[in-house]
Amino acid sequence: MNNLNFVRGLFLVAISLLFGLTSFNYKMGDFSRAGPGLFPLVISILLFLIGLASVIRSRFVTPVPIDYNFKNILIIIVSLAGFAYISEHVNMIAGIIVLVFVASYAGQNNSMVRNVKIAAGLLLVACGFKYLLHLNLPII
Amino acid sequence: MDIINNLAFGFEHALTVQNLMYCAIGCVVGTLIGLLPGLGPLSTISLLLPLTYSIPTDGSLIMLAGIYYGAQYGDSVSAITMKIPHAASIVACIDGYQMTLNGKTGLALFTAGISSFIGGTVAIVVLATLSPLLGEVGLMFGPADYCALMLFGFFCVSFVTTGSILNGLAMTLIGILLGSIGTDVNSGQMRFTMDLPFLMDGIGLISVALGCFGIAEIVKNLDNHSEITPFNGEIKLMPTWPEFKRIIPSALRGSVIGSVMGILPGGGPVLAQFAAYAAEKRFSKYKDEIGHGAIEGVAGQAAADEAAARTSFIPLMSIGIPENAVMALMMAAFIVKGVQPGPNMIATHPDLFWGLVASMWIGNVFLVILNVPLVRYWLSVFKIPFSVLFPSILFFCCVGTFSINNSLDDVYITATFGLIGYMFMRLGLEAAPLMLGFILGPMLEEYFRRALLLSRGNFGTFFTRPISGTLMALIGIFVAWQLIAFFLESRKPKAA
Repeated sequence: MNNLNFVRGLFLVAISLLFGLTSFNYKMGDFSRAGPGLFPLVISILLFLIGLASVIRSRFVTPVPIDYNFKNILIIIVSLAGFAYISEHVNMIAGIIVLVFVASYAGQNNSMVRNVKIAAGLLLVACGFKYLLHLNLPII
Repeated sequence: MDIINNLAFGFEHALTVQNLMYCAIGCVVGTLIGLLPGLGPLSTISLLLPLTYSIPTDGSLIMLAGIYYGAQYGDSVSAITMKIPHAASIVACIDGYQMTLNGKTGLALFTAGISSFIGGTVAIVVLATLSPLLGEVGLMFGPADYCALMLFGFFCVSFVTTGSILNGLAMTLIGILLGSIGTDVNSGQMRFTMDLPFLMDGIGLISVALGCFGIAEIVKNLDNHSEITPFNGEIKLMPTWPEFKRIIPSALRGSVIGSVMGILPGGGPVLAQFAAYAAEKRFSKYKDEIGHGAIEGVAGQAAADEAAARTSFIPLMSIGIPENAVMALMMAAFIVKGVQPGPNMIATHPDLFWGLVASMWIGNVFLVILNVPLVRYWLSVFKIPFSVLFPSILFFCCVGTFSINNSLDDVYITATFGLIGYMFMRLGLEAAPLMLGFILGPMLEEYFRRALLLSRGNFGTFFTRPISGTLMALIGIFVAWQLIAFFLESRKPKAA
């Protein structure tokens, strides 16, 4: 299973099915008067064929193992989502603190003092955006 | 003498205090961010695009163009001094870094700066001459021709950026599908919105771009655990006269090659660098030294790089079809500002068009000033550790997405695309064709439906018209060639 080419092919097939099958919910029309579902269906079919070709081809070429590490990406996603959620419900000061402290877990050397400095710096930048460039940031 | 008049008209617009300032800001910021590890022109533009929304049209486009060629140049500085393998300046790593190892960093940077200037100047002459002519050709294009041209562009971009046409095309198709999310313009039908109200207008371009390029790139750097060692050597900038004489012919050759490669569909700086480097290897008087830190090895590719960065605007501004992912982002910036790039752009917005062209030359001058005498200050950027940098870049990604609609929902979408972009990267799928597909997808659908409406559903229209027929034939040849290569490659391991 740990074969890059094979997984990639399956991934493409999955995306094509997701879009292709959903597009049947929309009116197809015919080629002279295309409905909203026709074009996505055509594209999905092409993507399906490419995915299928990748799957078949992966049987014939030497397998390449996938190199992945979901730790860092998940930390970053959580930090971004946390920023959005806290900024919406509390304010952006708290949001920035959450962003910096959560994201720093993805780095190699995590330092409290440095995080405080970065957060303070970013807060200053945010104030600059709000009061000098008139961006509508919910800082407080 | 039309060109001189037009250029003079352009300089009138570009030389206002305001526009000069925007041009300078664009160059400085572009160079700065281009220098940072892992951020090439694509991520730089997507990061800064939202910040230009509040600036007047001509200023913002001038600034974005400055960011683009500034980032392109900043990239080559980090390649020469520290061999940071950026996608955008791989070739500069070869001879440029070799020159650093030989203790000639200053000379390499000077060569790159001057060659870029020469390349940019040649490209602007090409841009000013060719765009209006191509614009007239663009007026003859019908819906079927546009479709064929876009398809041809997809094939070229897929091939150039990924080396594997199947993966590249797959990404283009995914991009087109993502682009079709939202309200269908012809029928008002909601498509793929999962009944979520914020998807009604489709997915934001900035979210896709920042997710796939900004966030995915940051995580890639974090995964690599690579701390860079900043450059601390001596920099002696001024070359001797015999050294200077070696720069000029290579830079001129590179400029011509770069200008041509910049115009071709799927072309652009990366391809141009390789072509110019190959040409130097073959034709230069000092070809034996190339690869071991030769001036020619830096001059040719640097000139080609900057020339192509400017001529790649030609297809966008004269026909209205971007030829690579960076230009697709630029096109989005044009449209946000209410300017439709295409055959009519020169006629409807002459001040904008010629002002932009003239500003590119002014930007050239800025870049030389910034990068030749001031380059040692730039290098201190590398002293900032990545662990300080990446939370800040994340924050800028958040502010960038937020400021488009003043909505924090967009931050969630960006985060989602960060995850998707990371998965693509780990699966070996390049995100650049996805961007092109995403931006051109709605246009392709529109022209596709219109072409078939005109021909009453007859697909012959794509093959019988002279322009689309030729393009389709080229695609056919391309596919046939790829199929042969595909089977040959599949057989290889068996034989071995």
